[in-house]
Amino acid sequence: MLKSPLLLTLLSLSAHAEPVNFSLEVLPVLSDNCLSCHGQDEAHRKADLRLDTEDGAREVLKSGDFIARITTDDPDEIMPPPKSHKPKLGAEQIATLKRWIAEGAKWGRHWSFEKPVKLPVKGHPVDFFVKERLTKEGLTPSPKAAEHTLRRRLSFDLTGLPPDPSDRSDLTDLIDKLLKSPHYGERMAMWWLDAARYSDTDGFQSDATRTNWPWRDYVVESFNANKPFDQFTLEQFAGDLLPNATPEQKIATCFHRNHMTNGEGGREKEESRIDYVIDRVNTMGTVWMGLTLGCTQCHSHKFDPVSQHDYYSLNAFFNSIDEDGAAGTKATPYFSYQSPHAKRAVAEAQKLVDQRKPVEAKAKIDAEKPFAKWLADQQTKVKGGFQAWHVVNGSVESQEGTKLAQDKDGIVIASGPNPKQDDYRLIAPVKLPRIAGLKLEVLPQNGVLSRGKSGEFILTDIKVQVRRKGSTQIRDIAVRNAVSDTKVEGKVRQYGDIKGTLDDDPRNGWTTKGYPKDQPHTALYELAEPLVLESDEELIFELLHRSTDGDANIASFRLFATDQRGPAVRELGPAPLEQLATGKIERDRLFAQFLEDHAPYQVAKASLDRASADLKEFTAAAGKLNVMVLAERKQPRDTHLLVRGVWDKKGDVVQRDVPAAIAPWPQGVARDRLGLAKWITSKDNPLTARVFVNHVWQMFFGAGLVRTPDDFGLQGQRPTHPELLDWLAVDFMESGWDVKHLIKTIVTSETYRQSSDLTDPSDPTNLLLSRGPRFRLPAWMIRDAALASSGLLNPALGGPPVRPHQPEGVWEEIFMGRFTYEPSQGVAQHRRTLYAFWRRSIAPTFLFDSAQRRVCEVAMTRTNTPLQALTLLNDETMMEASRALAKRMLAAKAEERLQLLYQAVLTRSPTEKEQSVLQRELDRALAHYRTHPEDAKKLQTTPELAAHTLVASLVLNLDEAITHE
Amino acid sequence: MSESSLHTTRRYFLGQCTDVSVGAMALQAMGQRESSGLPGLPHLAPKAKRVIFLTQSGGPSQLELFDHKPGLMQWAGKELPESVRQGQRLTTMTANQKQLILPGITKFSRCGQSGATISEWLPHLQGVADDVCFIKSMTTDQINHAPAMTKFLTGHQLPGRPSMGSWISYGLGSLNQNLPDYLVLISKMQRPSDQPLYDHYWGSGFLPSRYQGVKLRNSKDPVLYLTDPEGLPRHLRRGMLDGLAELNQMRFEQTQDPEITTRIRQYEMAYRMQASVPELTDLGDEPDHVFEMYGPDSRRAGSYAANCILARRLAERGVRFIQLFHPDWDHHSRLPSWCTARCRDTDQPSAALIKDLKQRGLLEDTLVIWGGEFGRGVAGQGKWDSPEAGRDHHPRCFTMWMAGGGVKPGMTYGATDDFSYNVAENPVHVHDLHATVMHQLGIDHERFTFRSQGLDFRLTGVEPAKVVKDVLV
Repeated sequence: MLKSPLLLTLLSLSAHAEPVNFSLEVLPVLSDNCLSCHGQDEAHRKADLRLDTEDGAREVLKSGDFIARITTDDPDEIMPPPKSHKPKLGAEQIATLKRWIAEGAKWGRHWSFEKPVKLPVKGHPVDFFVKERLTKEGLTPSPKAAEHTLRRRLSFDLTGLPPDPSDRSDLTDLIDKLLKSPHYGERMAMWWLDAARYSDTDGFQSDATRTNWPWRDYVVESFNANKPFDQFTLEQFAGDLLPNATPEQKIATCFHRNHMTNGEGGREKEESRIDYVIDRVNTMGTVWMGLTLGCTQCHSHKFDPVSQHDYYSLNAFFNSIDEDGAAGTKATPYFSYQSPHAKRAVAEAQKLVDQRKPVEAKAKIDAEKPFAKWLADQQTKVKGGFQAWHVVNGSVESQEGTKLAQDKDGIVIASGPNPKQDDYRLIAPVKLPRIAGLKLEVLPQNGVLSRGKSGEFILTDIKVQVRRKGSTQIRDIAVRNAVSDTKVEGKVRQYGDIKGTLDDDPRNGWTTKGYPKDQPHTALYELAEPLVLESDEELIFELLHRSTDGDANIASFRLFATDQRGPAVRELGPAPLEQLATGKIERDRLFAQFLEDHAPYQVAKASLDRASADLKEFTAAAGKLNVMVLAERKQPRDTHLLVRGVWDKKGDVVQRDVPAAIAPWPQGVARDRLGLAKWITSKDNPLTARVFVNHVWQMFFGAGLVRTPDDFGLQGQRPTHPELLDWLAVDFMESGWDVKHLIKTIVTSETYRQSSDLTDPSDPTNLLLSRGPRFRLPAWMIRDAALASSGLLNPALGGPPVRPHQPEGVWEEIFMGRFTYEPSQGVAQHRRTLYAFWRRSIAPTFLFDSAQRRVCEVAMTRTNTPLQALTLLNDETMMEASRALAKRMLAAKAEERLQLLYQAVLTRSPTEKEQSVLQRELDRALAHYRTHPEDAKKLQTTPELAAHTLVASLVLNLDEAITHE
Repeated sequence: MSESSLHTTRRYFLGQCTDVSVGAMALQAMGQRESSGLPGLPHLAPKAKRVIFLTQSGGPSQLELFDHKPGLMQWAGKELPESVRQGQRLTTMTANQKQLILPGITKFSRCGQSGATISEWLPHLQGVADDVCFIKSMTTDQINHAPAMTKFLTGHQLPGRPSMGSWISYGLGSLNQNLPDYLVLISKMQRPSDQPLYDHYWGSGFLPSRYQGVKLRNSKDPVLYLTDPEGLPRHLRRGMLDGLAELNQMRFEQTQDPEITTRIRQYEMAYRMQASVPELTDLGDEPDHVFEMYGPDSRRAGSYAANCILARRLAERGVRFIQLFHPDWDHHSRLPSWCTARCRDTDQPSAALIKDLKQRGLLEDTLVIWGGEFGRGVAGQGKWDSPEAGRDHHPRCFTMWMAGGGVKPGMTYGATDDFSYNVAENPVHVHDLHATVMHQLGIDHERFTFRSQGLDFRLTGVEPAKVVKDVLV
């Protein structure tokens, strides 16, 4: 991210003996300091001088005062000028420019726009260049890393999973084995999905769910099949245009539909459509060419040879897709597709339902016996009569001045001032063992229900709260549902439906308009959970009258509470026990009420319900799905240059074309997306292979040979090993864009196999590759590793997305309840992170430092924060993995347990010192849980299991466990 | 991490200190390095140390709340003259409807010595008018919520840039070792909001992710993953972290990787946050009169009013950037019931926050900002003369207010035309607001840049932005 002073120094030092290298030494100085005002962007060019072309520079140098202008102390003369906020050039930079001029001011091109050259090498190409450089700098490579470290390194790099501790094959075989593993494709896909801004939802306001995951499986399969990268590119750009395109080739084009789509009401669709076209071009620029094309949306690039005209010429390739900018379920074009991978998910879910169904059925049968006893008890209890509902008596008050009084029957009557809107409150201790629901009666007063002119009331909202005497705070009590004795038809945002009183929205609410206004009306409110009031707690029931027109305050009401659950609070009319009291045995209603309170049954039912919901979801996913793809419209659209990048400020019409400064258009190729893909992967294109090689290098070394993987332009960093980058790039192309070949070349080098210890301080960021790669694993790999080493991992490939554990309420908070998150059940819970449902507006919470998948991201961020520590300590998946590891430990002999744990997580045995620390913590935990079995019980474990779980969690949190060493 | 401090750490670990926890020692040994901001910052003497940004999401109506236009009565129901509209874009919700004028439906009063015009719907704000600086000439260039809010908070309409809070915590660093620098509080609402509050609103964009806003949630886990599982008592967690630190330290001895030392420190910070955050979010120790000041809703955890009290507590503890979000100001219909509902939620607590900060001497170096992503249009949406009418989005002008932090109290700045449609004098673009906020914190917005993808980015973008000096003390 930051330019390393070391690199710059090294580069300039090493170059001193030779003539100045224009591309690596001079151009960067000009680019950083001059080109924003003297570059190709005409609009911002000052004094009509330019330093981005040879002719322009010759002219500037001819004037003779170039060096004077950069060295003077006169604030009016000095370049760059003070108002640019750029510092004066350093002595080193000035010296370089002077030498360059003295040597004849030889012009050249930026390094990445020159075609790469494959220099002859001796021995392993990677080591040849790396060692040459190290020797030059007087450094020596690090020794080879320990065997188990290398196994881990290779296994994480090639499959994203820790090694199988029992695998004893030698390293060469291991590499082949890992590259053949189906998990290789998953590992590569996770990277590609970040670059492709893949998500399971649209993003923006509606953030609707899409079903593009077959594209994700296409990516996994393509990597596993080692599809040549040029072919992979071609299919994703233009699979639909290939002759006899297969369904998978059509789905491949979803790459360019993975952008966000905006379905916000009031949004111009055309504006959105243009945004999508722009996003495709920018993504293409970043992922394939390492160019910041986005800059040229509004103006010609200040630094790189891409004009605004070039930019919109590139847009033209994507501007005639048969789309109209719509989102949600109208985001055509679609390809209807049935995934072969969904069957497995359905089968897994079906198995779970089949397991849980008999459990639920048995729980119901088991409930019969206690029900019979309960019924007998109730029959005795209700002999003398039974009342489900009890009048709530307490104090009454209003917000705006209405006078409220409660009579001896509990009827509250309003009188006195009649404000346009008012809130009534009834505050009362309720002497019931619990409150399951409330009944509100609205009663006529003087023949009408309200104090308003119309005689009709509008109750906009109700609130149920609890306050402890002497406490300053109030807690809200959630209400699950409401029913009333009135029915309404019509839209939600109108007054009528009783459910409108539950959402704190004054634009809807309950009215009985249309019914006789001299008759009482009743509503029932069912609480989400039965409420138990402490002796010093009071119930607060609030009635809000805040309708748009107002003047509709209730004239009189009465409130009741009940401790009865089930039908009593869901259906108007007599409660089951009231019927029982009159001698009427409604068995089904009574049983329903009983089951409501019968915990063993409720647990079994909830578990079955969740499995059934998963099954339903996967069954739908196994049918025909709409996958968003590219397809050309019949009549191509004109593409305009957009003035300052604004969607409706149309400038000149432009034709499909590519920036000639990068590479010429291949001969005899049609100007369509197929042609564009061929241009990108043509051997004349100096960028694509280099950029790809750099991505892969970054994956394995934690940083690229070019440390700005998203910027190979003039403002990006220069490669640390330009000849190596070029060698690998050319070799990659010569191999037929063989990705596995490239990877094998890298990981078989000694450079890759060095120890990553930081014993030599002379190269702190490892720019010179004097040691092996060392960096914290990406969060997704940490999760996958925990699942794998604990034995929980479900290794299945492909299929519909799943929902791993995340804290409750995260989606609900963002969308105020519009989306809820139910963790997947059974083996679906333990799938690789690649398959985790990705909601664009809130990425999975357990992934830190992750790409956000809103726009394309190829750079890695790695921070080290307390929030990450909390995640790894307390995430439910980490806890489950710890528990599973603990169970495995307990199944082994006592003296082998810590050994087993270390082998499973770190692929090595603990040292004696480590063993003693672990044993100490284990003993401490054991001592606690044995003396406090209630704590173990809270963790739903035995004391032994709880203690071992804690130690397993400790080991999963070790730096070594989460680091690519 | 310098070599010497690493060795100090090692000495501590090798010593036989059994009475103090290992991790805590490591922390002391390593000092408070993360507290510092960037070298060279602040650029100038700061007037404010921290910001409380009361973000009102959805676009509050300036016509009902602040921008009093009595002259509009004679235009009621008439079509908006094209000379005023000047081709202003509308959302597709009202693009096909006649632009019939709906005069502001509330009564206004001139308040305080300054005589600021404030609506009857904001009676409590009327009471603190002389502490507040109103900017009536705010303007933006985005007409839909997500792009406008993104621009309002990150300076650019597309997601991916750092939010103002991230920029500021990145630049200025921390004042508190036990809490993140940038905290976000969202009002708990019962109704699904039409405008979700995306986490990119407080995202760190291309800045390191430790500068992103941390959301304090109204749940048993105020910060995600904060709470240890039930059945894991504090002393066992302590022991486990000591064991972890010890083993990590052994690894450090072997590998010399300074990231490991940082990690030990971060696990310690996590442990301390487990204590400091619940203490902070539990308002139980606030006296009754505080709740009376902030209004009845403040007794309900998660409400905007409770969050205002929390904001003051965060300010007291030195959190740099505190951002509240109150959703649901998008009043396309039924202004009389809908807009008043949001006023009721926010009026008393917002005013109380100013009073409270003032009483505690915190207002002078705390900049309080109130406002949303845009304003609302003068034309009625729906039937203009029915109570059902609302207003569509309007980017060309809207009102915001600021208080404290070196902003002139009792001032009204800028003005709109007779239709509250165009800015008539002293326009303040959202970028100007950003420049001004940064200026108050001692940052020159032009010199505060971050290089990403080859470009030097700043919060205020590429077009020139100005500090609104006229509103500053």
